[in-house]
Amino acid sequence: MKKLSVFLALALALTMLASCCLAEEKPDPFGKYDEPVTVHFVRSTDDTLDANFFSQHPDKTMTDNLWCDLYRDTLNVIVDYDWIVKGGDEYDQKLNIALGVGDIPEFVNVNTLQLKQLAEADLIMPLEDIYDAYASDFTKKIMLDTGTSPFDAATINGHLYGLPNVDSTLMIADLLWVRTDWLEKLGLPIPTTMEEVLATAEAFAKADFDGNGVDDTVGMAIAKDLWGQLFSLRGFFNGFQSYPGIWVEDENGKLVYGSTLPGTKDALKTLHEMYEKGLIDPEFGVKDGGKVAEATTAGKCGLFYGAQWNSIYPLQSCVNLDKDAQWRAVSIVPATDQPLKAQTDVGTLHWTVVRKDVEHPEAVVKMFNVFIDKNWGPNNENGIYYAPLDSESIWKLSPVVPTNPNKNNDAFMVLEQYRKDGDESKVTGEAYSILQKLKAFESGSEDGFALWGWERIYGADGAYGVLIDYQNKGMLQDNLFVGAPTETMTSRMSTLEDLQDEVFTKIILGESDIDAFDKFVDDFNALGGKDITEEVNEWYASVK
Amino acid sequence: MEKTTRALSRHGGGRLMKELPFHLMLLPAVILVFIYMYIPLGGLIIAFQKFVPAKGLFGNQKWVGWDNFIYLYHLPGAISALQNTIIIAFWKIILHLIIPITVSILLNEVRSTGFRRTAQTLIYLPHFLSWIIMGGILIDILSPSGGIVNRLLGVFGVEPIFFLGSNDHFRFTLIFTDVWKEFGFNTIVYLAAITNIDPNQYEAATIDGANRFQRMLYVTLPNMRMIIVLMMVLSLGNVLNAGFDQVFNLYSKQVYATGDILDTFIYRIGLIDAQFGVATAMGMFKSVVSTVFISVSYYCAYRFADYRIF
Amino acid sequence: MVESKHWASRLFVVLNYFILGFLALSCLIPLIHIFAISLSDSAAATGGLVVLWPVNFTLESYAYVARRAAFWHSMLVSVVRVLVGVGLNMVFCIVCAYPLSKEKDQFRFRTVYAWYFFLTMLVSGGLIPLYMVIRQTGLMGTFWALVIPGAVPVYNIILLLNFFRQTPRELEEAAIIDGAGQWRIMWQIFVPTSTAALATVALLSTVYHWNEWFNGILYMKTPDQYPLQSYLRTIVIDMKLTNMGANDWQALALVSDKTVKCAQIFLASLPILLAYPFLQRYFVKGMVLGSVKG
Repeated sequence: MKKLSVFLALALALTMLASCCLAEEKPDPFGKYDEPVTVHFVRSTDDTLDANFFSQHPDKTMTDNLWCDLYRDTLNVIVDYDWIVKGGDEYDQKLNIALGVGDIPEFVNVNTLQLKQLAEADLIMPLEDIYDAYASDFTKKIMLDTGTSPFDAATINGHLYGLPNVDSTLMIADLLWVRTDWLEKLGLPIPTTMEEVLATAEAFAKADFDGNGVDDTVGMAIAKDLWGQLFSLRGFFNGFQSYPGIWVEDENGKLVYGSTLPGTKDALKTLHEMYEKGLIDPEFGVKDGGKVAEATTAGKCGLFYGAQWNSIYPLQSCVNLDKDAQWRAVSIVPATDQPLKAQTDVGTLHWTVVRKDVEHPEAVVKMFNVFIDKNWGPNNENGIYYAPLDSESIWKLSPVVPTNPNKNNDAFMVLEQYRKDGDESKVTGEAYSILQKLKAFESGSEDGFALWGWERIYGADGAYGVLIDYQNKGMLQDNLFVGAPTETMTSRMSTLEDLQDEVFTKIILGESDIDAFDKFVDDFNALGGKDITEEVNEWYASVK
Repeated sequence: MEKTTRALSRHGGGRLMKELPFHLMLLPAVILVFIYMYIPLGGLIIAFQKFVPAKGLFGNQKWVGWDNFIYLYHLPGAISALQNTIIIAFWKIILHLIIPITVSILLNEVRSTGFRRTAQTLIYLPHFLSWIIMGGILIDILSPSGGIVNRLLGVFGVEPIFFLGSNDHFRFTLIFTDVWKEFGFNTIVYLAAITNIDPNQYEAATIDGANRFQRMLYVTLPNMRMIIVLMMVLSLGNVLNAGFDQVFNLYSKQVYATGDILDTFIYRIGLIDAQFGVATAMGMFKSVVSTVFISVSYYCAYRFADYRIF
Repeated sequence: MVESKHWASRLFVVLNYFILGFLALSCLIPLIHIFAISLSDSAAATGGLVVLWPVNFTLESYAYVARRAAFWHSMLVSVVRVLVGVGLNMVFCIVCAYPLSKEKDQFRFRTVYAWYFFLTMLVSGGLIPLYMVIRQTGLMGTFWALVIPGAVPVYNIILLLNFFRQTPRELEEAAIIDGAGQWRIMWQIFVPTSTAALATVALLSTVYHWNEWFNGILYMKTPDQYPLQSYLRTIVIDMKLTNMGANDWQALALVSDKTVKCAQIFLASLPILLAYPFLQRYFVKGMVLGSVKG
């Protein structure tokens, strides 16, 4: 972080120098080109665009839509795509192959590994000067809203090689989703300690709510990718001061891999005990999120860890099927008397990099400006360009999507204020769209009921309130390693992660006993984990 | 001397003219195969590089000799993937012979044409459904809690079996479901062979007092001998092909120990982790071993069934 | 004695019908399962309540798919791909198998050519170099990338050449005396007598072109060009919960609509299921391998 600030200061000094000597040459962040500038991107797409936008506007295409129009009209920038692929994994795979044959697009959104390789191969250009000169003040503010980590991850040898498509880190933190109608039926309180969570899980598993006489309710739902944003185990482990998959400081201020912390062993032990008691689906290891969602939907489960959006999917189907069902997201719970922290991670998944020979690299910075300004700036048209009621995902039509990381918090706070003073005039932008949804739900209409999931997030006791609580009480554990993947990480990390998941799954299922965890820690270190830890700490020392 | 040469060349020239159409027929295919199959072979050099995708195929990649192979040898899971591949492929080869042969003989014994036609058409169905589709369905019907199969077994007092999630059963499940999906389609060749049997042979056997079983044993089976031998030796070439699509859509981390095969391993290393050098090395290893088996199988096919390419 | 034989035979017949009937039904179940889900309402399907009979019957998913242009467009791509791809495969298969089916005294270089083709079955260069060649030859992002690189089906050529070999040599010699050239002999003698073999080869290549999905995703420029299975792949894929963007849940919610998914899977399976019986009649007389001399 030190390095970054040095170069930012330096760049700033240079720009000031430049501006004083060449007086009128201060670049305009929204300056329109005289001649059209065509920018070539590659991108991925998904079903949301198909279903929410293209199906209603069959005459529109990826290169002819309101976002492309906007870039053309305001900047004289024409957006074009060398290729478009459907699906995120498919995008990464195709991009890796394309890079492998030297087919590097002019502008491309990459992950940190690809960024590092491209930078080291000297194929992309440093962007710090251009960013500093062309990014608007508002852009600069938004981009730093989650701290400098999105920039640190793209900084190699003091140069910034990619512009982060920033996104919220807070939204990744786990919550505990619980079926409150079941709690009421059994006269149980909302669980606030691990003991209560276990007791609730046991009570749910024993109770036969659907009255079919079959013992088919699980206590707590988990899916096979243990650390996802739905049916996750992260929040559970966090209760034991274990932070799987991220890097945290030990008592000496050194970074350690969160999965190897002693708390992990206690968490695994507890999970195995839950399994023994029949509180965990013995099939979780083969069920993906969709399959587990079937259980929650069918009323076979009332407790799990997951992200704030889980009420929209899959819980909305649950209440559609059983109108009496009610869910609520509450804080994760502590298992020890140590301070409780929920883990987060860098929310930024992609960085926009620019090929070395591109003539107008600053065009992409201007696009960042326009995107951020149109959606969250003082005169934003969020209701048209971001997520209008009739076409939710329209913002994805832009090739660059730096998201205001605090937009949802802000919206929630605005709504909280509205709930207090009833002054609707202050509810604008995205908060306004959400308010319409909440109102529709409260109207009790059939259509409104389909928005139950939104009420569970933004309503009075909604999921966002819990997240903001985490933030205010300092209950967040960030991933402290945010740099580009290190040498050994590149080659070994995914194997180690596979090993970890395999061992953990076996311990939970009792196929291995709990001592397998100690063996895992040894194996982890022996198979590259030790080198990775050293490399990570080297990086940490360099940015401290 | 001169005479011979002239004669030879005249003869040779004539032959060349006569054979020219053959060359012309093959020419377009030869060119296509050269472009799309031989040129890419140059890419095998990646196996000896520490290949960084961003630098490109012709970039300044670092040469590492046999390092990728050594790395693989020490990589946890690589050796077990090889073992799994061989075991799974072996059983698939065996059962892909026995089951379709049995079913084709049974089908042949059915008198009712309507029933035979219907059964025949139905058993082909799964062959046409891709594993992407099958995967989702199998997880449902093989589930230990409430899956149709376990419910059925429960009737006979069998404890629920966790087909897809237990290392004790996963290989069996892979083998069994693959055989189930393909057996119908594989009966086609055998049924065709049975259709070709001269009906007089059956009549003669009946006159000799052979019963139904004896006719199957002494007429039907011997007539299928050649095709059985041929199918057997041809399938030898698949000894390292345990079925990527199937395993990919059915496996999970908890059964890597018994279910991970070379192809899924290569996929994960190559396309997910982008370690193309290591993935290519593994692919190359697979090619070398397969070459041995395919060569042996075509040699046997030639020796035993006069089925040949050379 | 006669009595017991009769009895055993009866038992066999009953058992035989039972076994075959059971097998046949087991093969039908997956399709019925999918069909039942596609006719159920969304919540029931998501709840996993549908087994073999629709719950809360509705045609909504089909109505939705009917409006879904991307689905029909990719089906069209697949149909064209099968027509062009199988056509090319067949032409190359015939023109290669024919000369290779000659004996050495008729065609001296056949062994050289045979080795040339055979070697490609043993080694392959992998994805990256192939991608490069496809790009260099200008096929990248075009429909042709789906049919040209695999236009020469070596395995099928070997099948067919062994079938061609069984055509009596006298037929050919007679034709030569009549002044027919090799091309005419191939088209007018070998091809017409090999319909069963050709049908087999055509079926193998049809199933390949219909079910292949990876090339579509890898080589096409935009998703509009995806053939059906590539399109299906993007909707039935395993749900990945890790490494998701904070806003990817919207896609998750959409993709998870099981009834629509199943309706598309069912519709996508139909054409090939319907095409099969059409080809089936050629097999009755004998498939390529089935007619190997015994």
